[in-house]
Amino acid sequence: MEHREIVVVGGGPAGLCAALQAARLGAKVLLLEGDDRLGGQLIKQTHMFFGSEKQHAGTRGVDISAMLVKELKSMDNVEIRTNAMVIGRYDDGALTVDENDEFKLIYPEKVVFATGASEKMLMFANNDLPGVYGAGAVQTLMNVFGVMPAKKVLMVGAGNIGLIVSYQLMQAGVEIAAILDAGPQIGGYLVHASKIRRAGVPILTRHSVKEAIGTDMVEAAVITQLDESWQPIEGTEKTIECDAICLAVGLSPFADLFWQAGCEMKFIPELGGHVPSRDENMETSIEGIYLAGDVGGIEEASAAMVEGYLAGLNAAVSLGYGLAEAEGLRADLKDQLNDLRSGPVGDKIRSGLAKLQDD
Amino acid sequence: MSNKEYDNTIICRCEDITRGELHRWIDQGVTNLEELKRLSRATMGPCQGRTCRQLILQEIAARTGVPISEAIIPSYRQPLRGVTLGAIADMKLDEEEKPHEK
Amino acid sequence: MLKVTGIPTTEDVAGVTPPIERLEKGPCAVIECYQKIPCNPCATSCPFGAIVRDNDINELPVIDWEICTGCAICVVNCPGLAIFTVDLSKPGKAMIKLPYEYLPLPQVGEIVDAVDRGGEVVGEAKITKVQEGKAFDRTRLVWLEVPREQAMIVRHFRQKE
Repeated sequence: MEHREIVVVGGGPAGLCAALQAARLGAKVLLLEGDDRLGGQLIKQTHMFFGSEKQHAGTRGVDISAMLVKELKSMDNVEIRTNAMVIGRYDDGALTVDENDEFKLIYPEKVVFATGASEKMLMFANNDLPGVYGAGAVQTLMNVFGVMPAKKVLMVGAGNIGLIVSYQLMQAGVEIAAILDAGPQIGGYLVHASKIRRAGVPILTRHSVKEAIGTDMVEAAVITQLDESWQPIEGTEKTIECDAICLAVGLSPFADLFWQAGCEMKFIPELGGHVPSRDENMETSIEGIYLAGDVGGIEEASAAMVEGYLAGLNAAVSLGYGLAEAEGLRADLKDQLNDLRSGPVGDKIRSGLAKLQDD
Repeated sequence: MSNKEYDNTIICRCEDITRGELHRWIDQGVTNLEELKRLSRATMGPCQGRTCRQLILQEIAARTGVPISEAIIPSYRQPLRGVTLGAIADMKLDEEEKPHEK
Repeated sequence: MLKVTGIPTTEDVAGVTPPIERLEKGPCAVIECYQKIPCNPCATSCPFGAIVRDNDINELPVIDWEICTGCAICVVNCPGLAIFTVDLSKPGKAMIKLPYEYLPLPQVGEIVDAVDRGGEVVGEAKITKVQEGKAFDRTRLVWLEVPREQAMIVRHFRQKE
């Protein structure tokens, strides 16, 4: 059994920044990551990031991760443990951790849950055939393990993840048969769409996958056009040859630990599903439990990083650290979040966050 | 996705529950996930519902007309993933320091 | 339509095209950024202060074509790979610099298929330079020579089999 000042759960963009900010202010931080390496989704992002300099815009995600990890590792008041997954939170404040097959109990004074999100699945006939992948799995195979997942991929979803993963696949020499999206318009950044389109990949809006075809693995997919109420239009079916169907149809906040803790939860579709309520300091309805990143609402990694800094800051301040600089830092971080969210592409997250405030 | 042809589509991969099977449970009056998981084991496999929970909630909402925002959400129990009893038995506990007994 | 196909319309492109007289003087950046997203590396990377996105990172970038030297620093710094340079100073020809992140890299002198924004082959182009460098952060700058009338059409290339 261990007692800790601040425990940050999750070593992705939000968790790394939460740990960094709290540690910069002098707090003693323990960072727990369930995977065998830090960085979360950042290490799979080979493209240059958007945003402004403060969120390292123009730098590739994988390099941002390396910078953050380097600073964390240089700090004496930070302990990092990988292969350490928090698998439970109990009423007395205890966290149970599965660390390299050892079961451990940790009592934090303050905790930041930055547990990210899991991928949504899509229902279609034969969706259990080998060759039906989530986009995250494709990225892990390709960018973490250096494995080419397929030769010709049908991408489902034209949000930023679908577009970026398509581009990465093309860079790895994989053909993209087409990118489908059920919506009437491309959901991701149009600059991503344009760079893929000029490389010859068709983007088909108002289309979905109806069926995977194959005996032992995916050999083709039947796609269909959708009408304005998202229903398949009969007679529009087309068969597309491919050896993988990659699903990039959205993410669900991975909020299990907040449920276990008994935090107030709200169902907000704009944020990706059930998310914890929070105040402007990223603290949940339970004192001492903070959140940051996708677990509180699906957004870009740049926003997750800023939320991480904000949560780490407030957790540290609540223990008496960094009182002198807190106000200035907090104001700057809130400005950054506002900048990232204030444009038209921030409409959804803004309306989701507004609903969170409604009672 | 209203056609019969999708009845055999797997909705919960870990426990091999098809969409047809799910519909039969709903039509028998099992219209919330809490009851459904106890009866069918849906969401109770290795992924702990991370793949299928949203799909099942959507199907229930579509078939009963009750929106997901009003759905009964089952408890998220510890542990989040499988852990051996041996690991739990070997856990180092310092009884003196248990803060909840202070 | 851009939001449905990913291909900007002729009107979209016309709105960001520098005047012919400017392009005839030498290389100039063409910023094909049509959507307000929170992003500003084009403005912060420009060594001449020709690109402004000051007040709000969500506003579309505004470029002063008279200050722009066509150096293409913004081309390799744009996270959306949405900036190109165009140069009409050579008679009958257009020089295009575009960002490129695929392998294998083309060779100088290689004749490639010239491709438009929709991915269609519209003719041939000659590779005149392939630039890379530490500041480019693994994005290559590929120089293409195409017929003058295709200056605002060619935006990609495909190596011949």
